[in-house]
Amino acid sequence: MNALGLSAAQAGLVCCRTCNLLSRPAQRDTPGYCPRCGATLVLRKHNSIQYTWAFLIAAAICYIPANALPVLTTTTLGETESDTIMGGVIFLYTSGSWPLALIVLIASVMIPLGKILALGYLLITVQRGSVANMHDRARIYYLVEFIGRWSMLDVFVDAFVVALVQLEPLMSVEPGSGVVFFMAVVILTMLAAQTFDARLIWDSARRVEVAHG
Amino acid sequence: MAEPSDLGNLPRATVEPPKRTRISVIWIIPILAALVAIGIAVQRIRSEGPTITIAFAAAEGIEAGKTFIKYKDVNIGRVTKVELSDDYVLVLVTAKIAKHAAGLMVQDAKFWVVRPTISLSGVSGLSTLLSGNYIGFEPGKSQESEVTFVGLDEAPVAAGQQGRQFVLNASDLGSLEVGSPIYYRRLQVGQVAGYNLTPDGKAVQVKIFINAPYDKYVLPGTRFWVASGIDVSLNADGVNVHTESLVALLVGGLAFDLPPFEPSGQPAAANTVFTLYGDRAIAMKAPDAIMRQFVLHFNEPLRGLSVGAPVTLLGLPAGEVTSVGLELDEAKANIRPQVLVTLYPERLLADSEVKSGKPADIRDARKREAFLRRLIEERGLRGQLKSGSLLTGQLYVAFDYYPKAPKVKLDLSQKVPELPVVPSTLVELEAKLGGILDKVDKMPLDAIGNDLKKDLESLDETLASAKKLMNDADAQLVPQFKKALEDLHGTLVAVEKAMTSANVSLLNSDAPAQQDLRDALQEFARAARALRVLADQLERQPSSVIRGKTESMSGGK
Repeated sequence: MNALGLSAAQAGLVCCRTCNLLSRPAQRDTPGYCPRCGATLVLRKHNSIQYTWAFLIAAAICYIPANALPVLTTTTLGETESDTIMGGVIFLYTSGSWPLALIVLIASVMIPLGKILALGYLLITVQRGSVANMHDRARIYYLVEFIGRWSMLDVFVDAFVVALVQLEPLMSVEPGSGVVFFMAVVILTMLAAQTFDARLIWDSARRVEVAHG
Repeated sequence: MAEPSDLGNLPRATVEPPKRTRISVIWIIPILAALVAIGIAVQRIRSEGPTITIAFAAAEGIEAGKTFIKYKDVNIGRVTKVELSDDYVLVLVTAKIAKHAAGLMVQDAKFWVVRPTISLSGVSGLSTLLSGNYIGFEPGKSQESEVTFVGLDEAPVAAGQQGRQFVLNASDLGSLEVGSPIYYRRLQVGQVAGYNLTPDGKAVQVKIFINAPYDKYVLPGTRFWVASGIDVSLNADGVNVHTESLVALLVGGLAFDLPPFEPSGQPAAANTVFTLYGDRAIAMKAPDAIMRQFVLHFNEPLRGLSVGAPVTLLGLPAGEVTSVGLELDEAKANIRPQVLVTLYPERLLADSEVKSGKPADIRDARKREAFLRRLIEERGLRGQLKSGSLLTGQLYVAFDYYPKAPKVKLDLSQKVPELPVVPSTLVELEAKLGGILDKVDKMPLDAIGNDLKKDLESLDETLASAKKLMNDADAQLVPQFKKALEDLHGTLVAVEKAMTSANVSLLNSDAPAQQDLRDALQEFARAARALRVLADQLERQPSSVIRGKTESMSGGK
């Protein structure tokens, strides 16, 4: 026994992902279904690392057009102006409202990027079987998963603005193609966080322990 | 069946499949994302036009990301960056050009900043008040594509218009500016497009643009002149006021026309260089091929005679005064006025040639001289100063026939021959008046006065003797005269008495003569009444003279 404790899988048990009931798997390879809630029991998520990588790479790819393409096309008195996310941040900053600029910068630029980088870091460390900073990594993962549900804020704001600001001859706002990619980034990072099995962080430590012990 | 014993050594097939890296279907998602992203990138790159750099002297109202490049009011590009050049002199504007306009970016394409302009000659760029300044564009004709350009300071006047540009050489710019109108027969047909000093700084080159339908009226022989503002000239012809239009009056302008002597023909090529004349009269003057200078020595003041004053021959302009000054004669210690004139005989002859259909003999220099000699020596052609305008006192030189003028010999051998002159009528009049005054001056007024005095003295004496004679007559004649008057008085009293008695006998009402007269008159009245009765009777009954007075007639009464 050590500080990490014994994992369910090591003890030949399986924990339900839905109702957290600890049960004995039907077979070692196919644990079967939870006796309480009927959810499919998995010892470890199937192909977790590969799935996470796939979603993460897709998100990283989408992140580029999400920032390069305009998210809003504003037409004021016949003058059309397209703004990217970064353009909006710069506009807000130069027009004096730096707190707003900061919020947009954090919510729309830094958090998606941070999520991608964090998940990438987690994946690499898990693949390499790193045992360092396991608690920190676990915290990072939960942070990423927690933030994920708020990441659609930008998309919602965009949708609201487009729906509300339609004063046709004077001013109108059209969504830019960048917002679709931004949405894809948010969804893909959420999926990546979902498919990543945090238990893998501890598994590598266990392997090291077993090897040494 | 015999089984070979060594077969038992064969390896068993494994139950476990060999470990293979299984690639999940999930990788379709990143591949799909990558494909979409790459697709968009490719489309963007393909649709992206060139990025150009324009150097401006000043970036008035140009903002990165907000300023567009417009051609025919269509956005063909957008400014992406505005920065200073390395030497901080120019503004380098980087702009992304739309793909469809990429073909327009050729070497001689023009860029300029469009800003609202309000001047006397018009209002332009008003749309920029709402949309902000933008960069105007005019395509070039070159085929070579280019990505670095030098922006113009001012919009080319004829952006996007059909027409031709010409160059005018002027001594100074006058009141012209970019956009000043150009008139052809008082119709605005173009504008001043720009101007610059010649490299030596001694002249101004004015670039003008004539709009398309009118540019064909600019022929190689066309003359341009300044129609700037109001043109007031004061000369021997009086006061001339000439102007093209109100706008030209306010902002100045140019005009052009083809002088009648210039042949019409093919329109002038673009960028042909013309001379800009000061005014219409100078511009439309025929070029004078034959010209000769002469000197005139007037023996009278030249005040009012200015350079450029006309020289007329029998009233027609034949030349002009080119110099007015004094001639020094050191040997004789004398100075006298000297007037140089230039004569252009062609001006007088153009018409006669047209009529006769053959060149006049006057074109031959020797014949011309001989003709001039005959005119002067035989006909008495003389120069004379005349007052062109009483108002201004400007003088001009008139050549007319003076057959009575003293004969002279014309010396044409000199480079600048002298032509004979006669004094002007004003001077002549002055001379005559002077002569009269001289004569008056010469009269022996003193002697006349003395004589007069003597005469008066003798008259005095005569009067004195007359008075004495009268006194004598008074003393002798008056007594006799008095006696004669007294006699006359007595006679008159007698006459009066006689008259009174006559009056009593004739005029008193009781006088017998009057009584008789009254009776006679009454008798006469009665006779007249009887006569009237008879006349009435005759009128009613003319037959009564023969038949007598009828009873019926009297009864009818």
